[in-house]
Amino acid sequence: MAVLHPNFAKEIEPYGEDSALACFNCGTCAAICPLIYKHFPRKMIRYIQIGAKDRILENAPELWKCLHCGLCTQTCPREANPGEIILELKRFVVASWRRS
Amino acid sequence: MFNPKDIINVIAGNVKATKNPFGIPKFLVNRWHKGVNLPQQGDAMLFTGLMYQFVPFIEKSTQYLEKYEDTALADAIRYVKYVPSYFAGLGLSMMTATAEKKKYNTILQNIAKILTASKVDFFYRPDLDDYSGVLLYDLGDQESFVQHARYVAEKLNQAGIKKLITVDPHTTYALKILFPKYVNSHFEVQTYFEVTRFQSHNGHRRISLHDPCFYGRYLELSDVPEKVLNSLGIECTAVQNAGLFTSCCGGPAESISPKLSTQVGTRRVTELQAAGEKIVAMCPICLGNLKRSGADVADLSEVIAACIDK
Repeated sequence: MAVLHPNFAKEIEPYGEDSALACFNCGTCAAICPLIYKHFPRKMIRYIQIGAKDRILENAPELWKCLHCGLCTQTCPREANPGEIILELKRFVVASWRRS
Repeated sequence: MFNPKDIINVIAGNVKATKNPFGIPKFLVNRWHKGVNLPQQGDAMLFTGLMYQFVPFIEKSTQYLEKYEDTALADAIRYVKYVPSYFAGLGLSMMTATAEKKKYNTILQNIAKILTASKVDFFYRPDLDDYSGVLLYDLGDQESFVQHARYVAEKLNQAGIKKLITVDPHTTYALKILFPKYVNSHFEVQTYFEVTRFQSHNGHRRISLHDPCFYGRYLELSDVPEKVLNSLGIECTAVQNAGLFTSCCGGPAESISPKLSTQVGTRRVTELQAAGEKIVAMCPICLGNLKRSGADVADLSEVIAACIDK
């Protein structure tokens, strides 16, 4: 069971991009990502959209597999900037670690 | 894979204590200029950001990380933060072969030769040449990045520096995009190949040029080195995935997962080798990781400097 946080997209805004809600989950980012890893980064963006904050924190180490190569951002048809969203989540998680 | 939290703590702690991610005292890292006659005054400052100088240390530390990744000892890295930064840095410096350090110093000496041959009015001040902090930014440690970037920018501003000539894509991105955005510091930044202008017909060769992500996509500068090479009589063969759609070398993951880094790097090496000519990189991270992934790679500066008339 997961607890959802409907305002999560708003909560992470201070950490960078506010474009996660523009994503329509087409999967182009996951298809082009050199990691070829479990629907990354689409999965993380979906978690933001549905407010699955705990899932992001549980799977946080996956964020650092991101190479910040920018291919997902280059090819996103919604210009949702997936690469920067992942960086935003890293900042959010680092801030959470520092607080705890 | 190592725990990112442990890696970030070690790197942020080192940057805070020593102003570089490895904890190595600067006088041991930045030695390329020793014995080289470089102007101390001029129009634009050559700013290396110490990235090329770090490569031999990255290679050495990655060798150890590779050995312990996904083993029972991987967790021990969390205790590294308790080792004083200078002590750990000195140890890493002593374990790194002098020949390797010299190899990367030669790259910077070649860049200085290229600027001289191009009659660029440049100067070098090692006291102002610092690490940009870009790895902290990539790792998401925004607070540490901003703190370090402010330190670097303030030093440059206090010295009255307005123009910078950079040598690698990561430092270029930091100074050109991140410094104005996060520390409100605006410098006129150009890469060395953007100011490279000298006549030569010594080229006569073909190469396979690897575009780094930050020149290819983030800064959209890929066409410039190719034009410089063409003007020197060097032809760049078509490489699968280039420019805006260039493939990553895998280097940025090397501190978190050397295995992942090698997997991605090996795929890129296959694409580059398929082009059939000598592989040339223009980023210290790409250079190191493509080599680690099995390629024979030269740096762009080496290819350009070889064209300078003796």
